[in-house]
Amino acid sequence: MDQAQRPQGRSYQGVVRTERTFARFTLGQRWEHLAVMVTFTVLLLTGLPQKYFASWGHDILATPQSILLVRRIHHIAAIGLILEVIYHLGRALYLLARRRLSGDIFPNWQDVRDAWQMARYLLYLTHKKPAYSKYNFEQKFTYWFLFFAIGVMIFSGLILWFPYWWTHLLPGGIIPAAQLAHSSEAIAAVLFILIWHIYHVHLERVNLSIFTGHLNEADMRRYHGLEYQRLTGVAAGEEAAPGLGSAGEPPLQGEESL
Amino acid sequence: MRRPAFLAIFTIAGLTVAVAALGKAALAGDSPDPLAQATPPPALESIPVSNETCLGCHGVPGLVLPLENGENLVLYVSPQEFADSIHGQRGYACMQCHTTVGDYPHPSFSAADVRDASLQLYQACRRCHASQYAQTQDSVHAAAMQTGNRNAAICTDCHTAHATRQLTDPATHQLLSESRSWIPQTCAQCHSAIYEKYLTSVHGAALQAEGNLDVPTCIDCHGVHNIEDPTTAAFRLNSPMICAGCHTNPEIMDKYGISTQVLETYVADFHGTTVILFEKQHPEAETNKPVCYDCHGVHDIKRPDDPEKGLQVRSNLLARCQVCHPDATANFPDAWLSHYIPSPQKAPLVYTVNLFYKIFIPGVLGSMAILVALDAGSALRRRFRARRAAPELLTMEAEDAQTTPAAGDLPGDEAVASSDEASSQEETGFEPPVPPSADQGEPAEPYEPPAEAGPGEEIRPAQEAEPPQAPDSPANDQPEEGAPHG
Repeated sequence: MDQAQRPQGRSYQGVVRTERTFARFTLGQRWEHLAVMVTFTVLLLTGLPQKYFASWGHDILATPQSILLVRRIHHIAAIGLILEVIYHLGRALYLLARRRLSGDIFPNWQDVRDAWQMARYLLYLTHKKPAYSKYNFEQKFTYWFLFFAIGVMIFSGLILWFPYWWTHLLPGGIIPAAQLAHSSEAIAAVLFILIWHIYHVHLERVNLSIFTGHLNEADMRRYHGLEYQRLTGVAAGEEAAPGLGSAGEPPLQGEESL
Repeated sequence: MRRPAFLAIFTIAGLTVAVAALGKAALAGDSPDPLAQATPPPALESIPVSNETCLGCHGVPGLVLPLENGENLVLYVSPQEFADSIHGQRGYACMQCHTTVGDYPHPSFSAADVRDASLQLYQACRRCHASQYAQTQDSVHAAAMQTGNRNAAICTDCHTAHATRQLTDPATHQLLSESRSWIPQTCAQCHSAIYEKYLTSVHGAALQAEGNLDVPTCIDCHGVHNIEDPTTAAFRLNSPMICAGCHTNPEIMDKYGISTQVLETYVADFHGTTVILFEKQHPEAETNKPVCYDCHGVHDIKRPDDPEKGLQVRSNLLARCQVCHPDATANFPDAWLSHYIPSPQKAPLVYTVNLFYKIFIPGVLGSMAILVALDAGSALRRRFRARRAAPELLTMEAEDAQTTPAAGDLPGDEAVASSDEASSQEETGFEPPVPPSADQGEPAEPYEPPAEAGPGEEIRPAQEAEPPQAPDSPANDQPEEGAPHG
C-alpha cells in the first residue's frame, strides 16, 4: 500500500505498456470517505422527508410511528457521522502534534490564482489550464465546503436534539434558528454534492481514487501535473521513460523493469 | 380497536332507549305518528278555534295538569309573552302547534313528568322548522339524548315554548345585534360554569361590558343547531380554523390592532405544521401538538398582556410551555416566535440565518453551477472538435499537455509542496524525490510533443489507445490495436 506505483503490466517495445499508479489516499482516508458517504446519504434520506413533511414527505411519514422510526434512524446515522468527525479531527490533531499533518488540503493563494485561471480558461480567455498539485482548488473547495456544512449540521442538529439542555446556556431563539439552519444547510449540501461533487468525480471524468486509493499516471499527469512532477521529478508533459529523471532522484519503486 | 366496540355499545343502548320510548309513547296512545309530525301545520284559515278562546282558560295563572309522578305541568301561557313572541307577532294560532286539542274536553294527555311532556310537545317545532330540526339530530345534544340523557337540550329549552324571540334579521338572515348577547345566557342555562369562564375572557367581557358585536359568542365557535362534540380529535384539529375565521380577517382585527398573521405564523411553526397536516389527512388522529386553545385557553381566553394568564408575560408563557415540555428552561419559550415573522427586531437570529441562506444558496451554489456548466460546455466542445478533427487527434492531446509547463510560471507552488513533503509522506506513504533543479528553468512555451510518440498514446493503457489514423483511413483494415495482446 505504501508504494506509489503498482505495476499492472509489462512494457514490450512500446506495445505492451506498464501503467504506473500513484498512491493518493490512505486506507484510513478511504474508509473515512465511505463512512461520510453512507451516513450522509442515510441522513439525507431520513431528513428530507422531515423537511418536506408538509408536501411529499408526508407520504412516507404518514403515521407518528413512522416519524419516530425515521427520527431514530436519523439519530443513529448522526451518531455515526459525529464519531467519524471526531476521528477525523482527532487524527488531524494527532498528526499536527507530531508535525506530520499534511498541508495539502489547506487552501492557499495558489488556489485563488488557479480558480481565476480556470475561469479565464473556461471563458476562452486563455488556452492554459492551470496545473495542480495534489489537490486542486475544486477538490479543496469540496473538502472545506463539506467540512463546514457538516459542522453546521452537527451543531444545529444537536441543538434540535437536546433543546432543553442548550437553552440552559443560550437564548431560546437558537432553536428556531438551528431548525432553519439545519434545514437550509441540508439543501445547500445536497445541491453541492449534486452540482459540484458528482460532476467533478463522475461526469467531468470518472475519478474513483477515493475508493481505489490511487490514480493512474495519465490522470496524474493530466489533472495533478505539479504533484506528478514533484513525485517523479518529470514534468507532466514529458515522456516519463525510466531513467529520464534528474540525477540524484531515487529510483521509483515498482517501476517497470524489463 | 376499542372505539367501534364502544360505539356499538352506545348504539345498542341508544336504540334500546329509543325503542322503549317509542313503545311507551305508543302505549300512551296520544302521541301522533312520527310521520304525521313532519306534515305541515294546518293553515290558519282552517283553524276553528281562535287564540282568544284558548287563552280564555290558559291565560289564567295557576292552571296546571298533574302528571303521573305528581309534578304539575303548568298550562298557563302569558298572553303578553305570546303576543310579544315572533309567533304571536306574526299571528300564529295556538292550534297550529297544538293540533290535537281543538275539541273540548281535550283528548287525554299524560306524561311521566314535566320533562316527558316537553319531549312529547317539542316535536311540533319540526313541522315548520324541519331543516333546523334535522340539524339538531346531528348535534352533541341529540347524541346525549340518544344515550339516555333526557336533559339534553331540545328546541324549547333554548328558544322557549311560547316566548320564542326573533333572532335573525328577516331580510338578511344575519343575527340581530341583541341576539348576540342573549346567546351566552341561553347556553348558560345548562353550561353555567363555562359561561362564568367566558365572562372573564377577553371575548365575553367585551360582549357583556361594551356589547361588542365583533367578539364571538358560543355559537360562533360551536355552531348553532348541529353543535359538534368539542371533545373529539377532529374538532381539536379543526379548531385553529375556527379561531382563524376572525383572527385572519383584517376588517375585524385592524380595529383592535391585532395581527392577522397568527394563523400563518402558527402553521409555519412545527406545532402548526403538524396540526394542519393531520387535519387535512387524518382528521380523526390524536395529536399532542398544541392548537390555539392549548396555549390561549378555551373559554377563558385572556388578553396577551393580562398579568395572570397573558402569554406576553414571560412567566405565563413558560408555564404554558412546561405543560407539554416539563424540562423547559427559562430561555426555552423564545424558541417559539410568538406569532412574529422573523425580522431584525423580532427573532433577529432566525432572521439572520434566513438572510444568510437566501444569499448563500443562490450566491455560492449558483456560481458553482455556472462554473460546472462552463466546464461541461468546454469539455463537450473539445470532444466535438476532437471528433471532427479525428486525424489530428494528437493536436488535442498536445493542447492538454500545454498546461503542465505553465506550472513553471508559478514558482510559489514548488515551495509549498516541498514544505509539506514530510507530512505528505505520512499520508501518501510515498518517498518524494528531490525536486529536479531543472524545473525552474523549464521553458514557458507550450510543450511540443514528439511527433513520433504522442503523449496521448503514452499515457493510455495500450489496449485503450486510439489509433492515430482516421477511422476511415485505409490503415483501418489492420488488426485491432488491442490484438497484439491476444
